[in-house]
Amino acid sequence: MRFGLSRIWRWPAALAVLMPFGLLSALLGQGGIWWVLSWVALAVPLLVIAAAWQKRRRSVVSEQQ
Amino acid sequence: MTRSAFRKWFWVHKWASLICTAFLLVICVTGLPLIFGEEIEHLLDTDPPYASLPANTPSANLDEIVAKSRQMYPGEIIVSTFMDDDEPKIVVTMAPSWKAFEANRKVAHWIKYDARSAQVIRQSKPLTQESQTFLGLMLTLHRDMFAGLPGELFLGAMGFLFVTAIVSGIAVYGPFMRKLDFATVRADRSPRLKWLDLHNMIGVVTLAWALVVGITGVINELSTPMFLLWQKTDVKAMLEPFKGQTVPTTAEMSSVQQALETAQAAAPDMRVTSVVFPGSQFGSPFHYLLWAKGKEPLTSRLFSPVMVDARSGKLQAVVEMPWYLRALEVSRPLHFGDYGGMPLKIIWALLDLVTIIVLGSGLYLWLSRRTSSATEADTELMESNAGAVLAVSREAAE
Repeated sequence: MRFGLSRIWRWPAALAVLMPFGLLSALLGQGGIWWVLSWVALAVPLLVIAAAWQKRRRSVVSEQQ
Repeated sequence: MTRSAFRKWFWVHKWASLICTAFLLVICVTGLPLIFGEEIEHLLDTDPPYASLPANTPSANLDEIVAKSRQMYPGEIIVSTFMDDDEPKIVVTMAPSWKAFEANRKVAHWIKYDARSAQVIRQSKPLTQESQTFLGLMLTLHRDMFAGLPGELFLGAMGFLFVTAIVSGIAVYGPFMRKLDFATVRADRSPRLKWLDLHNMIGVVTLAWALVVGITGVINELSTPMFLLWQKTDVKAMLEPFKGQTVPTTAEMSSVQQALETAQAAAPDMRVTSVVFPGSQFGSPFHYLLWAKGKEPLTSRLFSPVMVDARSGKLQAVVEMPWYLRALEVSRPLHFGDYGGMPLKIIWALLDLVTIIVLGSGLYLWLSRRTSSATEADTELMESNAGAVLAVSREAAE
């Protein structure tokens, strides 16, 4: 079984679009909602990392049991 | 991707990363406190607080402040004045002479005034005698590692390798993920496989940010040659008609306050924040060079120089900046992360920390490699994919 390009890249590509949006929204927007959108957009990749880390821990714990 | 293309990209990724990793680690660690530079500076600030005056108290006359400074240091030259737009302060920078200043910029010293009362708040010693501050140390390590311009160019090259490592990392990411779901971390096989997965996952998730901060970092390291180029081309052309004139003496100089008002009138949508005095290598021999910036979030990052004849006090020009200096100005906030409040700074710091993990895990993967480098790329991939096959077959068995 081999994954195709779209399956491999859809999440990384989505994040690679989201991050520049976050970077630019605070720069070009006039504060307010644009800042909040920027924080959310740039926090998503960090949440993905945290989620993957969390999942890893769970799989290790379940193995030990 | 063909096997030989994969090997080539892997080779690029390995060497670009290996060469720049040690320097990038220093840059990431020193960059961390710099993100919060403004806050740290306020925390460590020992200056007496500003006198509380009504909010609409007008600014003192700049001529008065300049005259006061010259009285305090007779015979010295004024390098520049800086009118802060955040705090009611005016900072006057002075030096024994232009010649001494050009030979070593650290012979300069400054006087900080209350912008409204024109009272001196604090004075520095010549910067050669001032002790290095914590933030100053971090910035030096981050920017040039105590090596001045060569250091800036060297770290710029390291930044370029970092960007190369990211691009080649994108190229080799696909083959590694042919049998793995996105963000899978195989923690149950070997530490090596776990760190490979973490390296790939964190790397790919943060790649857009890392690319932006990497590229803007390289642009920032090129700021000295870019300003030099501008001086040698545009500024030189503008000064052509003045050839043969001498730098005006203090007595010949027209009013700075007048120059400020003239510049302000010429750029009504902008705010003048500093005046570079005639004679400076960063300005003109014959003009006051006033830096004005916009008032909107983005335009406040874009500076335009206004030149006022230092003898006659007449407006010379509102100068259009060349595209490469505009690019430099836009790249600054995108590198510093200081344009979206404290939450953005915290996110910036966290992204910086996970970049350190990517750098560290990459180094670990190389140190713990088990093969000759000729087949390193293939072996890496085989081990990773074998792990995936094992995982799949185990899942099927369970």
